Amino acid sequence: MRPLGGFLVAVVVAMLLRSTALSSLAARGIIVDVLAVATVIWALRHGDAWGATLGFTLGLMADLDAAHWLGRHALLLSLLGYAAGRLAGTLVRDSARTQFALVATGVLVHQLWSAAFELGRDAAGLPYLFGRALIATVVSAAFGTALLWVLRGALGRSVFANASRTATKS
Amino acid sequence: MASILPPAERRSVVLVTTYAALSLLLLVVGDHLPVAWTRGVGAFLFAPFDRVVLTGDRLFAAWRESNELHRRITQLELENQRLRSAGAENVRLREQLELPVLRGMPLRPVEVLALGGDPMPTSATLSAGARAGVRPGDALVTADGLVGRVTEVWSGLSRAALLTDPNLAIACEVESTGVNGILRFTLAPSPRLLMTAVPLADTVRVGERIVTSDLSLRFPRGIPVGRVVRLRTDANGLMQEVEVAPAAPISRLRHAFVTPGPEPLTPGEPLRPHLENEPARIAPLPISIAAAARKQTRLDSLAAVRRKADRDTAMARAVRASKARADSLKGVPR
Repeated sequence: MRPLGGFLVAVVVAMLLRSTALSSLAARGIIVDVLAVATVIWALRHGDAWGATLGFTLGLMADLDAAHWLGRHALLLSLLGYAAGRLAGTLVRDSARTQFALVATGVLVHQLWSAAFELGRDAAGLPYLFGRALIATVVSAAFGTALLWVLRGALGRSVFANASRTATKS
Repeated sequence: MASILPPAERRSVVLVTTYAALSLLLLVVGDHLPVAWTRGVGAFLFAPFDRVVLTGDRLFAAWRESNELHRRITQLELENQRLRSAGAENVRLREQLELPVLRGMPLRPVEVLALGGDPMPTSATLSAGARAGVRPGDALVTADGLVGRVTEVWSGLSRAALLTDPNLAIACEVESTGVNGILRFTLAPSPRLLMTAVPLADTVRVGERIVTSDLSLRFPRGIPVGRVVRLRTDANGLMQEVEVAPAAPISRLRHAFVTPGPEPLTPGEPLRPHLENEPARIAPLPISIAAAARKQTRLDSLAAVRRKADRDTAMARAVRASKARADSLKGVPR
């Protein structure tokens, strides 16, 4: 039951952050992709099945909020959660570099995927969308790594210590 | 493929495949699904959390804003005095010219609970709904200017499309010259507000104020929208593209006001256009009613022409009389 409670808290916190503080930052050009960050961190802690589930749930809620292209965030975030969960067994999850690299990769893929839908047939916006994806990648990776560091300090142990993972190591 | 994997991994593969298939299905058929009600449910469920989160933000900002607001109130009260006398004079002049009296804008305060849209905010959840008299189509404004338009209304909440929504088009004009154009947010090549359909022959200058147009079917006239920051010729070389800096900063949206859109031009007008620059879609009428309407329109236009002719005649008579008076005065020896 504990992952389920944590799952609901993660969904509510991520959606609240997205619709309040991070929205204001995004309007100023500082984009924190909280959906991808939450999915990657959750998948690192709980494995591929939970990662895919959180990614799908967050993505679906973002899709319903946007009202266009229903399923675009859900598709990519569920795959991202699955991939990050699969990698969790083979990576040193407590390394800040690993966390940064993994979150950055996840955010970059998600941003490029979202940009592809916005671009449509007009290639004039390509430099802007690439620039925005890069800013989001750097800022979100720094945010995710800092968040894990703060949580580690607050808990007195690693976020990933004694974590339950459904994925089996291959 | 799945049968060669261990059971736990097989479960994960089945799960992620299901999610992916469901997402793809939504991508294909999602636009045809009626999902507007889910946004209403989401707004209802998240509203208490949004209010709690926003309380901290409001407390933090309250002290800083209080000083600024005191200064602003004094400034506006002084300006209000001047505008009152100008307004009274305006009413008298409009009566003399037989022009319709301008209506004031009733403002209904609302709180912005949440911003939606990815990655930039394109919509806002508002704290008032149908119970408070908010209707779809109402304009959303702040003290600085136009912010957006109410698109969905539930009983206690509503949702507005912001100026940053590329699907929102607004008929605007340059305040000082009355040059008209269509304002729309565009992402390519960079995100900005553009006023298009401005002829090259029209003079627009950087720094001029852009307000909602009298021709707008969706917004009351005269609401500030922004200021001109850049001008250039469009890709076809036939029109100007006017880049506009928004008057109301969307990143600091906490409180706003909802104001009703303009009344229909005719009382029985059935439908308004979906977009500002789209021709109005009038529902087909039964032939007899349509014929009657055409006849009525002809009669109305004939009456209007007659009234105008009467006014012109009266004006010409007045001009002739004043000229005669001036001539007679010239003839009087001092």
